Amino acid sequence: MATTALAQTDRHKAARRRKWREALTAYGFLAPYLFIFLTFTVFAIGYAFYLSFTRYNLLKPPEFWGLEGYRRVLCLEALLPRAADAGPLVCDDLFIRKALPNTILYTVIVVPAQTILSLILAFAMDQNLRFRRLFRTIFYLPSVTSSVVISIIFIWLFSPQGVVNQIFGLNINWLNDKNYAFYTIMLLNVFTTSGTMMLILLAGLQDIPVAIYEAAAMDGANKLQSLWHITIPMLRPVIFFVVTVGVIGCFQVFDQIYVMTAGGPLDSTTTVAYLIYKWAFRDTAVKMGQASALAFVLALIIMAVTMIQRKFIEGSGSVSS
Amino acid sequence: MKKLFSLISLLMIAAMILSACATPEVKEVIKTIEVEKKVVETVEVEKKVIETVEVQKEVPAERAVVRLSGWASSPEETALLQGLLLDFTAANPDIVVKYEPITGDYWQQLKTSIASGVEPDVFYMDIFQYPAFAKDDVLLPMDDLMAREGMKRDDFIPSLIDAFSTDGKTYGIPKDFNTLGLFYNKALFEKAGLKEPTDDWTWDDLKAAAEKLSDPANNIYGLGVPADAGRFPIFVFQNGGMVMSDDFSDTTLDTPAVAEAAQFYTDFRKNKIGAIPADLGEGWQGTLFGKGQLAMVYEGGWLIPYLTKQFPDTQYGVVLPPAGPKGEGNLIFTVSYSISKNTKNPEAAMRVVNFLTNEASQMKVLESGFALPTRISLKDSDYLKSNAASSAIFRGALDGAKPFMWGLVGSDVNDQMGKALERVYLENQAVDAALKQAAEVIRQKLAEAK
Repeated sequence: MATTALAQTDRHKAARRRKWREALTAYGFLAPYLFIFLTFTVFAIGYAFYLSFTRYNLLKPPEFWGLEGYRRVLCLEALLPRAADAGPLVCDDLFIRKALPNTILYTVIVVPAQTILSLILAFAMDQNLRFRRLFRTIFYLPSVTSSVVISIIFIWLFSPQGVVNQIFGLNINWLNDKNYAFYTIMLLNVFTTSGTMMLILLAGLQDIPVAIYEAAAMDGANKLQSLWHITIPMLRPVIFFVVTVGVIGCFQVFDQIYVMTAGGPLDSTTTVAYLIYKWAFRDTAVKMGQASALAFVLALIIMAVTMIQRKFIEGSGSVSS
Repeated sequence: MKKLFSLISLLMIAAMILSACATPEVKEVIKTIEVEKKVVETVEVEKKVIETVEVQKEVPAERAVVRLSGWASSPEETALLQGLLLDFTAANPDIVVKYEPITGDYWQQLKTSIASGVEPDVFYMDIFQYPAFAKDDVLLPMDDLMAREGMKRDDFIPSLIDAFSTDGKTYGIPKDFNTLGLFYNKALFEKAGLKEPTDDWTWDDLKAAAEKLSDPANNIYGLGVPADAGRFPIFVFQNGGMVMSDDFSDTTLDTPAVAEAAQFYTDFRKNKIGAIPADLGEGWQGTLFGKGQLAMVYEGGWLIPYLTKQFPDTQYGVVLPPAGPKGEGNLIFTVSYSISKNTKNPEAAMRVVNFLTNEASQMKVLESGFALPTRISLKDSDYLKSNAASSAIFRGALDGAKPFMWGLVGSDVNDQMGKALERVYLENQAVDAALKQAAEVIRQKLAEAK
């Protein structure tokens, strides 16, 4: 009896030791990632949060000034009527007047456009077309190309003497006209992102069991009906994913603007992300604190929009993702 | 077995972390070796130096390390600087210069390195960025060190060294500079039957010539008038106006002198005798000048090597900008070597700066055609005498020229000036209203920066 009890505790001890060793090994493997994650993500975000409450120009140590940075970012007094002889505003109305409306406009146009285009492409690629693989590759190509390279190609295509004007016989200065510049960049973004979205949607399409379509066909549903009542509902989680990724990408659009217009002409293409960069690095009087504050405002906006979307697209009783 | 495996993996991780921490030191060692290698390489050419180097190696005296950073604008320019640094190392074996060029966004990287206290000892300082650095006390006043090295302020072109001085102290030794000259296309002048411009031209001559040179049907325009804060202000100066008040606490863009200048400037495009680069599908008017679509442009010395490389067939000349109603006016673009206030080796750093800006070094830079020297004594050098184009750009700094610098909110002033011109060009806004709007925004930025 005694010996078996002893053997049992020994076994327990051995098991515990093995467990402990396994955990150690696991953390050992995780350590490099955790180290990078903690320093470059958690610490960086935490420090930016601290900076958002300071006035900081990189040359002098940060100086705490509470919510003043947020007040200057939001600059609500710019929207109020002002007397003609009032002193200059002590805040930057570029966010409230230009960057936020621009970014919303951009998202409202680009997200539906790229989602619908990629849905159409995905449906087309789901059919038994000839050269289907070739087409898939072609549609996906813009997504693997560097956005800077595509931006530069677009600058050439849309220059006053560029291909687009030549083909359509137009004389529009696309990127230097504030009525066209932003739409040109939107077109570029739809073009580059719909390939990836197509791929995701295609995977979703192929996940839908054929049996459901067959059952519907037995009950006499036509193609359009089964598209509307089977395909779209079954795709909901995937569409939610595509739209969410699209919205986040649109709210953060930066590189195309940096390369193509630098926020001009006349701020017509200044977006929130570009404004953050401008305040943090491009201005001679660096406003790092204010830029950090704007970064958190942007994060809050994206979070809010994503939650609202979840309500709308996922709806009740849908397949959970 | 498992124990061994987890032990090994832990060791590996530890090694990774440790090695990640240790890399800077390893790099340093490699870098010093590189410098030494290069010395030995030159040594092969000049036997004399070999001996000194070897002696130096036997006596490993403590060598002061000076880190030097600048932007790298072209491989040729970098090679030139490295050549000069090599000469310096040969002449000063007790100082190790580590050249660490910054590629990408120079100001972003320099400012973040200052924020984290790892900035180089000596770095390039553009006059446009200088005010913020001077105000926040990150540069070392150089006057005492200059005296030690036997350098005098009078050795340098006054408008340049004054630009890098605040409250009577020198915070930078100008390394080179540029001004704007009027570049003109000789073939187009000949075609129009016009006499070539001279240094004595005035606004009226400029306008008359632009009228005759323009041929909108063939996409040829007389003068490039970009909505660019790096060009337009010379017209303001030539009209007796200013962009900012003397102490940079207010803007003067909404004064009549500026409005008149802006009217004159923007009328070129309105009357189809001038164009902005975007009208002709380019980002920069230098390209259009090379192509022969703009007969005259205001550009700096940087256009000369560009034309030689890209448009070798374009025949051109350069003269001083035509004078306005109130005389000459020009913009000075200049860069200095400045020393960090936190440097551990101020004397060594100053010696590097002195060497790089001395007459011999500047003569080499001048002969390479990259930049103009800042030493007044080189005014009469043979190179400038035989290069009329460079000479015109050099002389631009001597009369009526002001530095391209608008104080702390310089980038906002630039933006607003450019936008005001854009609104006139693209939205047909009246010149007065456009400038008034710009001035209001600049005042807002000034209030913010306080």
